[in-house]
Amino acid sequence: MTVVRTLTVNGQKQRVAVEPWETLLDVLREKMNLTGSKKACNVGDCGACTVLVDGEPMNGCLLLAAQLEGRSITTVEGLAQQRHGTAELTPLQQAFVHEGAIQCGFCTPGMVLAATALLNRNPDPAPADIADALAGNLCRCTGYSGIRRAIQRCANYREDGTCAAKCAAAEGHEGTDGHEGGKARRRARESNEGTVFAAGDVGDEPRISDVKSEIHAAAPPRRFSTVGVSMPRVGAADKVTGRALYTADIKLPNMIHGKILGSRIAHGIIKRIDTSKAAKLEGVLAVITGADVPETPYGVSPARYDEHVLAKHKVRHAGDPVAAVAAIDERTAEAAIDLIEVEYEKLPALLDPFEAVAEGAPLIHDQYPRNINTHVEQNFGDVEKAFAESHYVREETFTGNHIYQCPLEPHAAIACWDHDGTLVLYTSTQVPHYVQYTVAHVFHMPLGKIRVIRPAVGGGFGGKAAACPLDLCAAILARKTGRPVKMVYSREEMFHYGRGRHKQHMRFKLGVDRDGRIRAFKSEIYLDGGAYSSFGVATAYYAGSMIPTLYNIPNYRYDGYRVMTNKPAAGAMRGHGVPQPRFAFECLLTMMADDLGIDPIEIRRRNSMRPDTRTVNDLDVGSCEFDATLEAVARKSGWYDKYGKLPPGRGIGIGAGGFVSGAGYCIYRGQVQLSHEKPREHFQKRSIFPHANAVVRITEDGMAAILMIGAAEIGQGSDTILVQCCAEALGIPPQRVRMYSGDSDISPLDLGAYSSRVTLMAGHAVSRAGWDVVEKMKPYAAAMLGCAAEEVFARDGRFYSRRDEGTKARSHEGISDEATKRQGDEGLVAVSHKDEGVVWEEVARRYFNDNGPLVGTGCYKPPEGLGGDFKGATVGTSPAYSFGSAVCEASVDLETGKVRIERFTDFHDCGTPINPLAVHGQVEGAIVMSAGETIMEDVQFDEQGRILNPNLHGYLMMSIKDAPEIFSGLVDSYEPRGPFGAKEIGEGSTLPVLGAVAHAIANATGVWIKDLPITPEKILRALREKSAAKRGAELVETCEVGAE
Amino acid sequence: MYIPDVELHESESLEHAAALLERFGEAARVLAGGTDVLVDLKTGRTNTAHLVSINRISSLRDVSLERAADGAITGLRIGALTTIRQLDSSSHLRERFAPLRDATREMASAQVRNLATVGGNIASAVPCADLPPILMVMRASLILWSQAGQREVMLEDFFVGPRRTILRSGELLVGIRVPTPPADFGAAYSRFSLREGNAIAVAGVAAALRLTHDGDISNARIALGAVAPTPTLVKAAGAAMCGRAADAETFEPAARAAMRAAAPISDVRGSAEYRRQLVGVLTNRALRRALERARASQERASSGGSELGRQL
Repeated sequence: MTVVRTLTVNGQKQRVAVEPWETLLDVLREKMNLTGSKKACNVGDCGACTVLVDGEPMNGCLLLAAQLEGRSITTVEGLAQQRHGTAELTPLQQAFVHEGAIQCGFCTPGMVLAATALLNRNPDPAPADIADALAGNLCRCTGYSGIRRAIQRCANYREDGTCAAKCAAAEGHEGTDGHEGGKARRRARESNEGTVFAAGDVGDEPRISDVKSEIHAAAPPRRFSTVGVSMPRVGAADKVTGRALYTADIKLPNMIHGKILGSRIAHGIIKRIDTSKAAKLEGVLAVITGADVPETPYGVSPARYDEHVLAKHKVRHAGDPVAAVAAIDERTAEAAIDLIEVEYEKLPALLDPFEAVAEGAPLIHDQYPRNINTHVEQNFGDVEKAFAESHYVREETFTGNHIYQCPLEPHAAIACWDHDGTLVLYTSTQVPHYVQYTVAHVFHMPLGKIRVIRPAVGGGFGGKAAACPLDLCAAILARKTGRPVKMVYSREEMFHYGRGRHKQHMRFKLGVDRDGRIRAFKSEIYLDGGAYSSFGVATAYYAGSMIPTLYNIPNYRYDGYRVMTNKPAAGAMRGHGVPQPRFAFECLLTMMADDLGIDPIEIRRRNSMRPDTRTVNDLDVGSCEFDATLEAVARKSGWYDKYGKLPPGRGIGIGAGGFVSGAGYCIYRGQVQLSHEKPREHFQKRSIFPHANAVVRITEDGMAAILMIGAAEIGQGSDTILVQCCAEALGIPPQRVRMYSGDSDISPLDLGAYSSRVTLMAGHAVSRAGWDVVEKMKPYAAAMLGCAAEEVFARDGRFYSRRDEGTKARSHEGISDEATKRQGDEGLVAVSHKDEGVVWEEVARRYFNDNGPLVGTGCYKPPEGLGGDFKGATVGTSPAYSFGSAVCEASVDLETGKVRIERFTDFHDCGTPINPLAVHGQVEGAIVMSAGETIMEDVQFDEQGRILNPNLHGYLMMSIKDAPEIFSGLVDSYEPRGPFGAKEIGEGSTLPVLGAVAHAIANATGVWIKDLPITPEKILRALREKSAAKRGAELVETCEVGAE
Repeated sequence: MYIPDVELHESESLEHAAALLERFGEAARVLAGGTDVLVDLKTGRTNTAHLVSINRISSLRDVSLERAADGAITGLRIGALTTIRQLDSSSHLRERFAPLRDATREMASAQVRNLATVGGNIASAVPCADLPPILMVMRASLILWSQAGQREVMLEDFFVGPRRTILRSGELLVGIRVPTPPADFGAAYSRFSLREGNAIAVAGVAAALRLTHDGDISNARIALGAVAPTPTLVKAAGAAMCGRAADAETFEPAARAAMRAAAPISDVRGSAEYRRQLVGVLTNRALRRALERARASQERASSGGSELGRQL
């Protein structure tokens, strides 16, 4: 029975009609349009819906609106205005913006509200108070470091803005000033060896500054104005005020809602589907089944398209989409789903890859004999001979775990069809272009008739790197009903959709010489692929290809088998295919170092990759400061004072890793074209079309630059990095660049946010587009300055003449670095001549007067010829590679096995960072995500193949209380193939973590746990087995002694 | 993930609530903080058609001290609607009642603690609830109200099975009474969870001790959470310690008795075997902490009762 309640929301009394079953969260979002409160779990596990009720934080999803008569409710939308009467941010909100507390922003509203309540109650909270107040707010991106900094900065805030000095200065949090200066060793690899660039020390930004100060006001003179600055994120203010719109926040006129019915069983034949009851339910507008969807299979790898929008006749995992419904609201759609009757003929569920490859096992797909989806066989050098010649050989088996990305924002899509037949698809994706490509493929539509809009995305980590059933079902249902259809996964459905990390079963054999130098490595891996191919072909190759990038391995053999099982498809997750093999390799290397009495960091330094190396599997490593990262973590962590010297229960461990800065090749072959119309494509060792493309349009008054590129901002910060690159190239402040990266009609193609490609590839495209604009402006600037066009350059909103500056035009001959060629080194000089030159916008206006629109374009193709000539040689190719090392310090409760990750010290070679704050944010987030992956995260299945923990209280992500203290540092590095010397950080930062944690635990306990996650239970079991074995050995010894 | 059609009844008084509960019987559930029942409704774990809200009965939302005629504090009275947060921050939770904070301090999350009620944590009869073990060893009793009258039962006699209690149709848990522990008393609750923040207990053990003047154990109680179908008082473990010295030699057999008494299940959080081992460890830890507190309390008492009221 509907009741009317008067709620006071953000200070305003509102009468609202509510149903008895409606939660406050739904009323706020659906009836009051306050979409800042997010629905991420809906059962009180995550805190994303936190609101203040009479000043106290509560979960909006656990409150019935009908019970709140007379209560005062504050949502994130009410914070800013409450404080100042305008939309000015509160000091806490400002601190969130400036301290890097915001990445994807989906947890931010709840986080800010919980922290606001804390500070209201306790203006000077200790770190433990902060952790306790925020333990109910999960964040998947930041590792909580920036959030802690932001709150601490506001402790004891005073109205005059002098709040933060105390904690910022006095406590001096490590990790806040992590960039290591050191010697500038900028190399220009492709030019004269040893050329040293002017060393603008990009790392000296004060990370904690006064609330009201501009973050780069105190920037020292440097080569670049904007690049290298820890600029706060573009869009952070929208996220911290709840204004940012994620897909599920968007409402279109006449919009209806869809839901998908997933299979109850893990493997079976659909005998009958009866949708009649569902169709008759009041409010239901359409019901579809496998019979209503295209016959065309789809997927990620064109060679292995094996999914249908809805199951055609067979279900292959619990949750496999079987039918879909559109109804007037989501609740009705959900009720309708329950009325669909499906009769199955059950088949045996294969849940283990070894069971699935067994002779005679039922085939999950007919086209994969023995259920082997991908078989990789790579053999470099002579492994067996090298083992025979090795001083020491050790073989071990390791097992990974089922890890799920768990972005805070569930997948969501809204589809609608324009009158001219254009499909407009709003979707929560990392890869708008691949979604467009897949939709075009499934519906046999030209790509040009599909407009993909990517609203704000609340995290992806690989889980949103392909078109998902929501995109396709929403399009079909919208077509069928003639109305916009919104579909959003529940948290449970997210787990059933899957695409998490492959669980890998690894048998590794490593041979070293007397000094610990690697002679040979052999790897055999079974990857548990789940029910569909997804990214799995690439995963199987990555699991092998990235091993030789870190250490010099002269002989290498890899056999990989990706096996289908009746579980949700595994896909690409942060570090794609590599984290588990890297974990195993790092563990094995450390075990052998200990066996040989060589320090584990020393053995890594002896084998570490050197710059300008072609690896045994034909990958071209350019810049490489891996050794410097090892040296730095050892020094910073106090390694040599601690390793082997800690008491029982305390441990320290080392891990290392690196990753590609963008895949060298596109996922599909050939040009951008509807795949059905393509001729048979032969592989060519070059990219056919540019992987990143940008357009810059200058507004007619010259005051703003509109940057358009399809690179997907998903919380990793790419919009900010690209604005910085573009502003740098244009020579204007970044505040004058407006970014449009979310609409395929506006922004040209970019392949999206995967393989850590955006900074390098899109960074090149946007800076080239900027330089293109500047080239067009130069004649006009030259005319105004009275010099030749080639003598002008743009910087900080003005054009200058090199001649007028009295600076000798420098010769850039022989230097292939693009930024230097385009901009020269004179930036350093120009800073001191600010009052001269001509204003940038006047030059732009003059250009427009003569020529009309001032537009520049830029694009990027990876270098040609990347990779070797063997099967699968493309996977792992990249223009550049990142490197990093991490030291973990942990304590273990030897009675319960419980692990506490105390501290992480991490150094990375990510080239020269575009935005150090963003880099540290990626590292901090990766450490917490991957440390959790190592010790607590695991999707568990029952014997029927149903997920036992498809929720955020059963699947454990680290809370702020679990997150370690982190020092993130960078070593000096410069990558000539990267824009402004930059490489990747987002995925590579995960790779050292698992091995470091495992080693720290082994160091603390004396037992190595070789299967993930390293749970307290496994540790305790291993400790007991060890002490039993020891007792047994003593007994034997006693008997032997007695027998003598 | 939506709450299905339910009727929401606002009861203005205990009589009203009881009448509603009696009328709808099995189809009704009490709505207090809602952190259990609303999740059950969303996830289809219950087919409750009627929610009987008692949230307007504000007399149930209170923490107070009970006093004898001479003014001496005889016990703590916790209204069933008191939230976990209210209890945790109550000024009465000092000194002798402080062990309750072992359970309230880190339960769930700040948001849930602001919603969830003490009565709900008990009456939901969820096996892993954190308050029942510590309340049991502190000899808490429950005040059950019905139209027919009020009865008081010991907490250890309240649970029948998972999510099942002795509550009769139309009967409500209205309050919890914790007797003031004597000066020679100490109690503690040790829980183990797989995550530091916002995690469900894998195992929890509460222990309480009374000491003689010589420091021996005069009385002991041990209660378990999350390792049996209901929170469980292990009478044998407590009884075996009486009259013994308060040391590891006494604690160890008690821990083994607690392990034997545990009847854990295997689930996503841990195997039955592991849970049983945890019971042993946690029992020892809870006993050691209870002993420290009992000794501190004895010391304070002997140095004069004026110290009363200071934080333990």
